[in-house]
Amino acid sequence: MVIYFLVAFACGGLIMLFRNSTANLVLRTAFLVTQLGVATYAFLHPGVTDSVYFTFDSLGIILASVLSILSIATFYHSYLYHKRHPINLKNESIYYASLILLITAMTGAYFTNHMGGLWAWLEATTLSVSVLIYHERTTTALEATWKYVFICSIGISIAFIGILFLSIVATKGGLTNLFLTDLMAAAKIMDTTWLKIAFLLLFTGFSAKLGIFPLHTVCVDAHTAAPTPISAFISTSLMNVGFLGIFRMYSIIAQTEAYHWANQILMISGVLSIAISSMQLLRVKHFKRMFAFSSLEHMGIVTVALSVGGVGYYAAILHIVLHSFAKAGLFYQIGQVDNLLHTYWIKDTGGYMKLNPLGAVVILLLFLMITAIPPSGLFVSELMIFKSLFGGHYYLIGMVLLLFLSVTIFALGRNFMWLLYSIDQAVPKAAEINKAETFSQFILIGLITYLAYSPPLFFTKLINSAIANLT
Amino acid sequence: MIFFFIILFAITLIYLAIAERVVRFLTLLIVQGILLAGIAYWHLKEIDIIHLSFILLETLIVKSIGIPLFLNYIRKRNRLNKLNESKVPTFVSILIISAGLVFGFVLSNFLHDAHIETIFFAVAISTVIAGLFFIISHQNVFTHLIGYLVIQNGIFMMSLSVGAEMPMLINNAILLDLFISVLVLGIFINRLGDTFQNLTVDGLSQLKD
Repeated sequence: MVIYFLVAFACGGLIMLFRNSTANLVLRTAFLVTQLGVATYAFLHPGVTDSVYFTFDSLGIILASVLSILSIATFYHSYLYHKRHPINLKNESIYYASLILLITAMTGAYFTNHMGGLWAWLEATTLSVSVLIYHERTTTALEATWKYVFICSIGISIAFIGILFLSIVATKGGLTNLFLTDLMAAAKIMDTTWLKIAFLLLFTGFSAKLGIFPLHTVCVDAHTAAPTPISAFISTSLMNVGFLGIFRMYSIIAQTEAYHWANQILMISGVLSIAISSMQLLRVKHFKRMFAFSSLEHMGIVTVALSVGGVGYYAAILHIVLHSFAKAGLFYQIGQVDNLLHTYWIKDTGGYMKLNPLGAVVILLLFLMITAIPPSGLFVSELMIFKSLFGGHYYLIGMVLLLFLSVTIFALGRNFMWLLYSIDQAVPKAAEINKAETFSQFILIGLITYLAYSPPLFFTKLINSAIANLT
Repeated sequence: MIFFFIILFAITLIYLAIAERVVRFLTLLIVQGILLAGIAYWHLKEIDIIHLSFILLETLIVKSIGIPLFLNYIRKRNRLNKLNESKVPTFVSILIISAGLVFGFVLSNFLHDAHIETIFFAVAISTVIAGLFFIISHQNVFTHLIGYLVIQNGIFMMSLSVGAEMPMLINNAILLDLFISVLVLGIFINRLGDTFQNLTVDGLSQLKD
């Protein structure tokens, strides 16, 4: 990990230093190779502790692999984005250096085995992504960046208080450190009152990152203002960092008598997130905000899945992986729509099926994926979640959630159909349609289907290993 | 001696409710930084001298010198002198912050535990509440940043009260993150000042459905 961090920081630093197109390309490639290298190394060394503060545990390996795949796609779409929106080399260098720092911070967060370390990496993701949200230098970008940095910083401060409470309870349990494995081992003898307070504070803080109720609003604004490749990251890998933080704390509390209480908290937050998202989706007017509220809904589903337990644990991790690929694909494709129609406002779009049939097929497929309509892989994970909900006798909640999800499908379907089939828009002369730009989206759609319907053995083993301490 | 510092620290919270001039806010932050260094010294003087010196230096340099100097630069650049935009009357603010102090003591007595220092914990909780109240009750983004720093001071005191130490590396990473976050927030305050001409939150309402 030390080598990885040195190479990553060197790549980011040199990009800022040289500010030269060729050098930037070489350094970006070098970083991507290193990123893939660290993910592969982790995959080949499961459970191994590296450089004291990092352990290649199963959940970290899964999320780092998703991050690495999306990093390749994000760098490619960032290249396309800068081709469409030319800026000076200084700002482009700042963009790529910040992107490298963001990916590095997320990788650090995935693999850290220390609660204090997790907090530090989380704050690092906030700071690096703030530069990226502000990339377009518009007033809305400025507003979104300020709100994101400030509220995330407050949220993460609340999470830090949670970590301090956790350290109190750990000290009472005879521990002198905050390593995750030690905390889980000592959880059974911890005072549940203190543990509940710690969980509540950590959950509230990390909800800003996961993008769920109560601190969900900052993520929505950040999605709207950031460049589309970055929105794709905020909506996927960065939310996964929040999920990891909550999952780590949940893994500790799940060993204690406060387990059922924690499930209730997760259930309330998840249901409220789904309810808010379905209501907002009915009135949303901007595609990126629509995707942001869709992410709120999916993270709500993941939270509900965690709260139900049993098959829900497996489904939660499967869902978060599949959602990452589907949502990233949607953001990449909507970037292409913007290139053609120069807008993200729903009312100003239309006729996309005629203008770009291949891109329209991608939109149509991704609509099916994100709404979990078969053959979507997310159908499998949602089916598991509802199976565990009804199996756990949560009939009323299950039915209410089905109602909200139906509203979501209606709202998303209405807006996507408007984009595809409504009155034709005049295509600006400068707009070019490059069919190769949809390639990465097809790969992601393929991955969603493959991982859900015919998952490789190593993938299911990794998920089962990640939830082994919970079942 | 340590209780004297803690009581002085609690008094700074009351002053925070009264203050309107930006320079006063910065002075209070400097005083809080010095008091925290004093509290850290009296509380941690048993640990090894190198570790102790490092903690004291980082507290003084970052909290009492670096951050206030940077905030003063922002103040001058944005011509901020008096911020009388609190939504809550001063008298009510004093009452709320005092109630926060009382709540802090009640809570720490309720959670009475051998592993925490009650008075530390009570003032730390009150400081976090005061910081949050400060943010909610003011409409200027600069005062929001001051509120954020007050919360951070409360967290620092809380970390002393619980007695559990973070490893040196993690501790430094946390401090570095705090310092950079203040820098980033400060830079964005300057941008907001340049873009919106004033620093009230009224201008930050374009993003909505």
